Amino acid sequence: MLHTKIVNSKDSKLLITEAENFISSSDFGASIIFTGTVRNQNNNQTVTGITYDSHDELVIKSFEEIYNDADQKLNIKDKSVFIEHAKGYLNLGEISIIIAVACKHRDEAYVLSRYIIEEIKKRSPIWKKEHYANNESAWLKGNPIHHEKN
Amino acid sequence: MKVKLELFGISRDFSNQSSLDFEVDKNSTIKDIRNKLIDYLDEKFSENENYKKIVNSSAFCSADNNIISDNYKIKNNEKIAIIPPIGGG
Repeated sequence: MLHTKIVNSKDSKLLITEAENFISSSDFGASIIFTGTVRNQNNNQTVTGITYDSHDELVIKSFEEIYNDADQKLNIKDKSVFIEHAKGYLNLGEISIIIAVACKHRDEAYVLSRYIIEEIKKRSPIWKKEHYANNESAWLKGNPIHHEKN
Repeated sequence: MKVKLELFGISRDFSNQSSLDFEVDKNSTIKDIRNKLIDYLDEKFSENENYKKIVNSSAFCSADNNIISDNYKIKNNEKIAIIPPIGGG
């Protein structure tokens, strides 16, 4: 089972309770809820907030591919996965991403949770613009998504 | 032939609009769009080297949400997106 969504901060917030409800099942004995939140420091700068931008359709597609790849690469077939990512401006401490996973056993849950966040960092077209205490702001450098030039 | 380039991430700083429109020759490819965009940036931002690096390290995405190669042939009135280096989470 998979749930994916991009949540615009103008409309609503990411809610851990929704993730808990989605993955809750007596089929699974282990669950992990990972959240990413806006931190007050980065690269020796005082951060006051982050604006997230995303290519929504491609992000959702990447979440689905990551979920399906977990079947092949990790051989974790029985699982429930909830992935939501924020879009728009977030204040310090607000949740930018929730990855909730439920599996039969704890080993699978830990591996799957880590796999999903690392793959999102590599594959999902999401960008961060940090806002600083001195009123300046900057897009973070990021990593090139895989593409063929030839 | 017309093509609309949707802007995301740092490439949003390339324009006040959410997209750029280019006029290109028939049978143009993503490589040609990359060059058109660099020409546009040279003119508008006085050869901003950082912007050029971003364009050269960006991927491009088709209207049906596939990452496309530099050899991809663009259709008339096609809407494509630039995907600068990413870093969410």
